[in-house]
Amino acid sequence: MNLRISRSDFIIALAPLIAFLLALVAGGGILLVLGKNPIEAYGVMLDGAFGNEASLFRTLTRATPLLIIAVGICIAFRAGVINIGAEGQLFVGAISAAGFSIYAGAQLPPILLVPLTLLVGMIAGALWGAVPGFLKARFDVNEILSTVMMNEIAVQLLLFLLSGPMIDPEQLAQGTRVPQSAQLPEASWLARLAPPSQLHTGLFIGLAAAVVVYLLLWRTTTGFRIRAVGQNRDASRYAGISVPRYLMLGLVLSGALAGLAGAVEVTGITHRVVEGFAVGYGFSGIVVALFGRLHPLGAVPSAFLFGALLVGADKMQRTMQVPSATITVLQGLVVIFVVSSDFWVRRYTARRQARVATNMPITPEVTPATPSEVSA
Amino acid sequence: MNNLNIVQIGAEALALAVLFATPFLFAALGEVFVQRSGVLNLGVEGMMLMGAFTSIYVVSSKGLGADPVIGLLVAMVVGALLGLAMAVVSVTLQAEQGISGIGFTLFGLGLSTLLFKLLAGGVITARGFQSLYIPGLSDIPYIGKILFQQNVLTYLAFALVPISVWVLNKTTWGLQIRAVGQNPAAADAMGVNVARVRYLTLIFGGMMAGVAGASLSIAALPVFQENMTEGRGFIAVALVYFGGWSPWKVMGGALLFSIANNLQYWAQNYNLQIAGSPIAPNLLLMVPYVLTILVLVFARQRRRQEPAALTKPFTRGEN
Amino acid sequence: MKKRALITILIALFALAVVVNAQAPFRVAIVAPSSVTDLAWTQAMYDALGQVQESMGGEGAMEIAYTEGMFDVTAAAQALRDYAEDGYNLVIAHGTQYGTSLFELAPDYPDTSFAWGTASDTGAGQGLTNVFAYEASAEEGGYINGVMAGLMTESGVVGIVGPVPAGDALLYINGFQQGVHASNPGAQILLAYTGSFGDTAAAAETAQTQIAGGADVLTGSAQQVVGAIDAAQTAGAVWFGTQFDQSGNWAETVVSSQVFDWTATLEDMIAQIQSGTLGGTAYNLTLANGGLTFAYGQVAIPDDVRAAADQAVADVAAGIAYPLGGLPEGQFRVALVAPSSVTDLAWTQSMYSALTEMQQQLGGEGAMEIAYTEGMFDVTAAAQALRDYAEDGYDLVLAHGTQYGTSLFELAPDYPETAFAWGTATDTGADQGLTNVFAYEARAEEGGYINGVVAGLMTESNVIGIVGPVPAGDALLYINGFQQGVAASNPEAQILLAYTGSFGDTAAAAETAQTQIAGGADVLTGSAQQVVGAIDAIQTAGGYWFGTQSDQSANWPDTVVASQVFNWTPVVGSMIESIVSGSVGGTAYELSLSNGGLTFAYGQVEIPEEARAAADQATTDIASGAIVVQQELPE
Repeated sequence: MNLRISRSDFIIALAPLIAFLLALVAGGGILLVLGKNPIEAYGVMLDGAFGNEASLFRTLTRATPLLIIAVGICIAFRAGVINIGAEGQLFVGAISAAGFSIYAGAQLPPILLVPLTLLVGMIAGALWGAVPGFLKARFDVNEILSTVMMNEIAVQLLLFLLSGPMIDPEQLAQGTRVPQSAQLPEASWLARLAPPSQLHTGLFIGLAAAVVVYLLLWRTTTGFRIRAVGQNRDASRYAGISVPRYLMLGLVLSGALAGLAGAVEVTGITHRVVEGFAVGYGFSGIVVALFGRLHPLGAVPSAFLFGALLVGADKMQRTMQVPSATITVLQGLVVIFVVSSDFWVRRYTARRQARVATNMPITPEVTPATPSEVSA
Repeated sequence: MNNLNIVQIGAEALALAVLFATPFLFAALGEVFVQRSGVLNLGVEGMMLMGAFTSIYVVSSKGLGADPVIGLLVAMVVGALLGLAMAVVSVTLQAEQGISGIGFTLFGLGLSTLLFKLLAGGVITARGFQSLYIPGLSDIPYIGKILFQQNVLTYLAFALVPISVWVLNKTTWGLQIRAVGQNPAAADAMGVNVARVRYLTLIFGGMMAGVAGASLSIAALPVFQENMTEGRGFIAVALVYFGGWSPWKVMGGALLFSIANNLQYWAQNYNLQIAGSPIAPNLLLMVPYVLTILVLVFARQRRRQEPAALTKPFTRGEN
Repeated sequence: MKKRALITILIALFALAVVVNAQAPFRVAIVAPSSVTDLAWTQAMYDALGQVQESMGGEGAMEIAYTEGMFDVTAAAQALRDYAEDGYNLVIAHGTQYGTSLFELAPDYPDTSFAWGTASDTGAGQGLTNVFAYEASAEEGGYINGVMAGLMTESGVVGIVGPVPAGDALLYINGFQQGVHASNPGAQILLAYTGSFGDTAAAAETAQTQIAGGADVLTGSAQQVVGAIDAAQTAGAVWFGTQFDQSGNWAETVVSSQVFDWTATLEDMIAQIQSGTLGGTAYNLTLANGGLTFAYGQVAIPDDVRAAADQAVADVAAGIAYPLGGLPEGQFRVALVAPSSVTDLAWTQSMYSALTEMQQQLGGEGAMEIAYTEGMFDVTAAAQALRDYAEDGYDLVLAHGTQYGTSLFELAPDYPETAFAWGTATDTGADQGLTNVFAYEARAEEGGYINGVVAGLMTESNVIGIVGPVPAGDALLYINGFQQGVAASNPEAQILLAYTGSFGDTAAAAETAQTQIAGGADVLTGSAQQVVGAIDAIQTAGGYWFGTQSDQSANWPDTVVASQVFNWTPVVGSMIESIVSGSVGGTAYELSLSNGGLTFAYGQVEIPEEARAAADQATTDIASGAIVVQQELPE
């Protein structure tokens, strides 16, 4: 490790930050058009995300599912497959975990119930991810296509289950028939860390997942092979690695984590699956993973910052009373600007690499043609 | 009682499927060019929404009350501008394309909704492109209904399919696009300006996405409601993969998807039953998606010609 | 005082002596704070007694004794006890202030029936069985007067001469202000209290200051107002009265008076007493039960004002409009968290427009703040929004989506002072110990049935299409009701039903509608914010549309026949009123045809006479229970 801090290190660290600020400046123009004071608005935003303990907990609460999804996305992208399907995998994981907990909850001791519920969510997510994985491995069906389609299928499956087979018996009794599942037995709920905030032990699950996936990818043979396949399929094939197998594994593990995120969200926050459950988390998870440079440990600060953006922006929207679409525009701008700032990061990384002559790319490509990396 | 026989239903379903395949076709054809040049544009959804809103706003009485053609032009310009922005981000700045695409989708979704709220204040309607009956041909039984009673944008979308094939395969232009997508270094060595080609395909792709949005808001249903595309942009991108980057197959995919989708509505309308029990609507709604995957699995295509440089930025001298 | 009591006793004894051998008349005594000719509160009751006496057959059948001017509560208590002692059948304590004394003495005379007003408490909670309570929803007539006043003022300034800000007078004044705001949001209201019920001179002076301030329309309450009416007449202003018909002396000045008609109340009390029930009923005069009526002077009322008043009377009586009796002190702050946009022409807009309507009625943004967070399909984000609003001290926080329930129940205990409301729901969390949650829902199937009846009669092709979002919730109830309505009015009609699988997919709704039009449908309906696509499709095809949740006719007036509208205004009003009175939850509201919560908005489509009649009949039948619309269709 090179511990000296050079100018390029600064730029690498500062580029995303500057980009973020520039995105806010651009968003400030929109706020001005809306007749709001951007400085005041961003002050509210900052305060809403970090201002006090309660807002910090909110940020962490929102970050938790994004972190778990993003960690999974890292595996898929490292294996060279683009998993757009986290959204659907999360739904399937959540509904399966909920179903298991509701129907088996009474028969199991609480000590087993929580882990098994989460496990069921993981397995369901893994299976949902296995479908595009299998199609990719066996039939070379492009995963962007299959995961987009699987998302839509999952949405309809969720609605089907919530409005029919799994509908809350209360909803039938009251005649309101709102599509939602029954409440999960309390024994399967994840513990709250700091009531009254909704922060729950899922945060630790997310952090553990990040570490485990990091170890998996960089400290095991399986991980090495996954990355090798992602780096260069042809070379891996020559090296005797079963490329289809690891492509599939990438999607399966990625799906498992998205499913886990769904299970964590339902046991940690909502305690039942409702219509509109966790919509958009899958996509946000992809953004988080890519902001974290597709590194499971990078996903940790990335998820935190993205959670802060969501919480702070929500707060700003409420306090300033701007249309909520303003927030969507702002998020779009942040994503575009920050991802563009990679340009400078790459440029200075390349210079540094040239200088210190180590092989340490910060930004792995999805199917990069860059030389394989040695260490993280 | 007005009961249609199965042939009539088929004709009606096909006619509607052709109409509702139009936005997919525009967006996906544009994306074919973009991907053929080696760039993945996942921002199609946002660009469609911007095209959809700006075009109907210009046409509606709440806006300028302009002719639909003006609306179409506005959608093209807006889409092209977004495509240009995407080009700056993904070509010049070499940003990761999946993520910047999601950024553009968010941006387009947010901005179209914001403009809709500020300018229109609520649902807007307009008199858009009307059905254009092709003299003679529109009277052919069934076929006329399906193919020759559509609006002008639908004709345009399908006309663009052979034109796209021709451009891609028979012109210098197409050759450059394909070269840039397959092997940018080689193309560069041959004197092709890789960045310029990619800029142009992205601008064209954005324009087509804008038109795709307009084909919903000022043709298929002259109305705008926030987030009215509901994921159609992503389906369009998926259809490019379905079609293996070939405009004809992309058209096949768009039609297959739309036909399956429209038929499931008919199945719901007439309460289609299997083994005496009705099928839950949400299960029928899955059919087009499942079918699209299955067809791809069983069609056993020839080796698809994925552009080798897809999603890879190009820097001169690096590769 | 003693002398008067003595006289009373003597009269009573004399009366007793008279009737001993005749058939015993029904004996009523009233103790009132003001004079029986006060043109106000006391005279309203006294005249009603006279009318009842007449209809019962005169003095021989009913005896009336009164003690007026009993502003001294101690003296009044003595009078009440005296009458009871004398064996009167019904002793009326005609003042809220007499309540404490009444509850003290009532147990001593278990065979005597007492009546007490303004009050709603019959003492049943304390074990009393011989007390009736009565009150008047004076805010309702106040609202009507206010609507007229708002329209009739030319200067845009309206004056109110109040006695003390309490009781019946406050109800009336509150209602009046809301009426003015509702009909003329720009009008300025000058409100002053004299601090007395009987200070005629102060009332006159107050009125004159208001006239000097530009007021050309005035109102006021209590016996003091005669001074104010006179001042109004002198200045050429007009007056609105309450409690009693005040036009007698000022026919050219008094436009209308809300009149408390207690006759039905008294008749019912007497009938109950004669059948052995001595108390326990609480009566309330309302526009709906005919207890509140209007008397007009000779002021020419423009036709549009009269029409607006008639409409307002009908709306209040039907529960469609809801004047609040108790107004919030200072600004009332409401926050709405909703899954879709406030302009969705559907579920969210139905609530948002109720809030804005209530805001106008209460006097604009200064009186009521509305904050909202829309597009909150993410439940976690919604929970944070709800908590923020509670934290910010909003008085009422609306969680406008069933999916928010779990989070709401979690955070509600942390903010026991904040009122939360939750819908679609019937559960206020009472069994979990929550006291600060209201629940609300709509019986969408009822309006669906009515729409279906009309649709069945308006289709020419006999094919009707339904564009559903997801077969669940409110949409499913509506669709099921609609199908039953069609089956009832046109069993021949074929129904094409398809779901888009989404609430917001406008294009899918358009496509679905077009398949149904291709299948022959000329009349369509559907639910959720996506339907705008479907409405446009049926407009292009020249057919008709039936809407639900919000009024959908604005963009398509020639296509939308009728929309079932979720009218949450009375629910919002009732919640605010409840919060103002200190109860921040516990009530579950339901919108139905019979309670005015479900109404219909019409476009410009001409509805055939036959269809309209059938719809009216069905509405009556559903309200009366003759037709029960099933929530689920038979297999």
